[in-house]
Amino acid sequence: MARSLTRRVVPLAATLIAVSFLTFLLTSLLPGDPAVQILGPQGATPEAVARVRADLHLDDPLLVRYARWVGDVAQGDLGRSYRTGQEVRDAIGERLPVTLEIGGMAIVFALLGAIPLGMLSAYRAGGGVDRAVTGTSFALLAVPSFMMAIVLILVFAEQLGWAPATGWVRLSDDVGDNLRGAVLPALSISIGELAVYTRLLRSDTIATLQEDYISLARAKGMPTFWILLRHALRPSSFSLLTVVGLQIGAIMSGSVLIETLFALPGVGRLLVDSIYQRDLVMVQGIALVVAVSYVVVNFAVDIVYTYLDPRIRRGRAAARA
Amino acid sequence: MTPKPRSHRRLIALVAVLALAAAGCGGGDDDDTTAPESSGSSTTAEVSPQGDPVRGGSITVGIEAETNSWLPGSANFSNAGINVALAIYDPLFRRDADGVLHPYLAEKMAVSDDLTEWTVTLRSGVKFHDGTPLTAQAMKTTFDTYINATGSNLAGQVKDVQSVTAVDELTLLYTLAAPNAAFGDVLAGAVGWAFSPTAAASGPDAGSHPVGTGPFLFGDWQRDSKLVLTRNPDYWQEGLPYLDEIVFRPIPDEDTRISSLKTGDVDAVQSLRQSAIRQLQDLDGVDTYEFLGNNSGSAIFNTSVAPLDDVRVRRALAYALDQDQLIEVLGGTGITPAETQYFSEDSPYYSEAVAAAWPTGDAEEAAKLIDEYVNDPERSDGKAVGDPVTFTFDCPPDPSLIELSQLYQAFWGGIGVEVDLNQVEQATHVSEAIAGDYQAKCWRVGDQGDPYRTFTDAFTADSPLNFTRFSHPRIDEALDVLRTTADNEARKAAVEDISMVLAEEVPNTFTAATLSVLAVQENVKNVDGWTFPDGTKGEGVPGATTMWGHVWLAE
Repeated sequence: MARSLTRRVVPLAATLIAVSFLTFLLTSLLPGDPAVQILGPQGATPEAVARVRADLHLDDPLLVRYARWVGDVAQGDLGRSYRTGQEVRDAIGERLPVTLEIGGMAIVFALLGAIPLGMLSAYRAGGGVDRAVTGTSFALLAVPSFMMAIVLILVFAEQLGWAPATGWVRLSDDVGDNLRGAVLPALSISIGELAVYTRLLRSDTIATLQEDYISLARAKGMPTFWILLRHALRPSSFSLLTVVGLQIGAIMSGSVLIETLFALPGVGRLLVDSIYQRDLVMVQGIALVVAVSYVVVNFAVDIVYTYLDPRIRRGRAAARA
Repeated sequence: MTPKPRSHRRLIALVAVLALAAAGCGGGDDDDTTAPESSGSSTTAEVSPQGDPVRGGSITVGIEAETNSWLPGSANFSNAGINVALAIYDPLFRRDADGVLHPYLAEKMAVSDDLTEWTVTLRSGVKFHDGTPLTAQAMKTTFDTYINATGSNLAGQVKDVQSVTAVDELTLLYTLAAPNAAFGDVLAGAVGWAFSPTAAASGPDAGSHPVGTGPFLFGDWQRDSKLVLTRNPDYWQEGLPYLDEIVFRPIPDEDTRISSLKTGDVDAVQSLRQSAIRQLQDLDGVDTYEFLGNNSGSAIFNTSVAPLDDVRVRRALAYALDQDQLIEVLGGTGITPAETQYFSEDSPYYSEAVAAAWPTGDAEEAAKLIDEYVNDPERSDGKAVGDPVTFTFDCPPDPSLIELSQLYQAFWGGIGVEVDLNQVEQATHVSEAIAGDYQAKCWRVGDQGDPYRTFTDAFTADSPLNFTRFSHPRIDEALDVLRTTADNEARKAAVEDISMVLAEEVPNTFTAATLSVLAVQENVKNVDGWTFPDGTKGEGVPGATTMWGHVWLAE
């Protein structure tokens, strides 16, 4: 275990360095001067721009700036936004819970729908239910999340009044209002995911159902429900798990469209605003946090695989032997 | 400029469009200030009866965008930010219903005959929210430390100020390096908002904890989510504010902002987008307060590069446009009138003569001018006689602007000009304009500020905001008049001179002036009825902003 950990930590560090350096490089290649953004067109006289650039060390060579940033990060200092005056760490800390809650809820909603639907349509592959589920999945896949969001707002906020269109309430302020505010954005994101998960689970389950041990279970007269849940689901969930893992990483960066539509104070909006305003320190900080969580989540998924399917553990042991 | 009676609403309701509003086209609209006598007009069309003032209650206001900071100098105040700022800070001056500057937080103002010494007397007994008294010294300190400082985005506005002196406890003297009749206009904006020097000195995060003298105290701020302001119990204006609390929510998407008003999640919204304004006008149980400003959609031309350095080309491009069709694409038909100068029809600086002289809607004349240029052996772009005129037109990637630029392309293509459309992201768009690194761009021009400031920024040789690189001796002469005289008739004549030069030389074209709206639930009252401490009626809701201390919630 220790060896497999070190085997993973080294590439992890390398990934983070690569990601942060590339972000640094890309943001510095962006046209548009941060100093002009700070001063505004009216104040952006050449002398004022030169002074601000000097204050922010923007004229130092790229590598020097990068090295300084890495040095600060190593001490836990992500810097301070020169657009808002906020600590980057605090700004991300404020936004992350919102993004995580919406993304997490979306994945849970998607799984709650995808598992029964995927199993059911695999069990009755080719039948009416399967065709209906398949058709609906493809239709949902074709609907972009912002479109879904607009429909949901129209129906559930404007017509039925079940949930607010906007108005985020922190979990710590009021749990009920918080959940009401989170439902529509989470649903908007989850519907596309639901379709993908259902398709994946269906095809893997169809393969699993051909296995001998399923036939044996059937021969023993076990109820269908039990066979699907106890014997077929676990071995059929690999592709699904991989995709969910990637998705958990992706939700860290938030959904810009959904956060904008529902006026949510999430990471996605912060990131996009920061790019527009050339708030490079903030962009850099967010990129780092997203990269770290991406890598960590996928590392965790890898480990979960081995517990999900004993064959992987044995396979490795056999290979070492 | 007079306030419009109700029946004028349709007329006024003409406006604006560039769906992009403030965010979209950069530059020029970061400024709430209004000039000694300029500005558009407000209407209280079809609003419910106002009734008597009521104390108490809380309202939620949906605004277009979040603001980066609340500290003048580092904050970028768009219309959304100004709305909030006017609840926290009191402005020294504002415009009254006749468009004339009038003291608000200031008691009075005196100007020396040579227009270089501006003496402002502050009201006595005013305290900042942190309990420290408002004094001339406090104003001087914040001016020197935050307004006229390195990295301040207001420094450009006060570059003529030689010194600020605290003459006595309540008297403040601004000494200018040269006469400037329009300086009062500067003091009506963020430069003249009083904020506590002690709070501002509290550290790099001071912009998150603003302390003003205004009707509301700054409370819990969750960026991009909500800002809670609570009643200032010690406010210097007896009886104000009426509300106990205001919550501002930035809701960037126009449709969800309107949905939130429909569902009652918010009590008021602001909008500068025509298609949204039309929807808001049609809602039941909602009152709309509109304001037609001078800000207009535009195509700006870089007059320092070929082929746009030739006036024949620029005039041809203006003649080729059918402004009504451009306005239709922007969704403004019937709400916003075509613009021909830097002032809308309601402005005292609007000139009929200029409107008549503005080149527009004449494809024949346009083709004639282009032919002249194309067949000129000395043509500025160095191409062979007979080769078509070509240039690149830049616009930010907003759907309505893309549609708009395609229409420009079609009109100009109609007279044989080949236009490449280029999408540039906003920050780049602005940087290129400042650097003069472009040929033509979609933009917004004009504002509520004094014409001296507007035209000095836009059309003097050494201004960083002279995006078109256009200047003219007649403009310089007229600006001199605007700078050195306070006489309204002389100033209007000077403005007309400038507008006429612009109509002849066409450094930019116009689409339509921008209509802005504050739409509120019927029980939100007195939205445009705010008054000065001496009872004079204010100018209403410029740029969809108001003085929130005067607003009440009917039972």
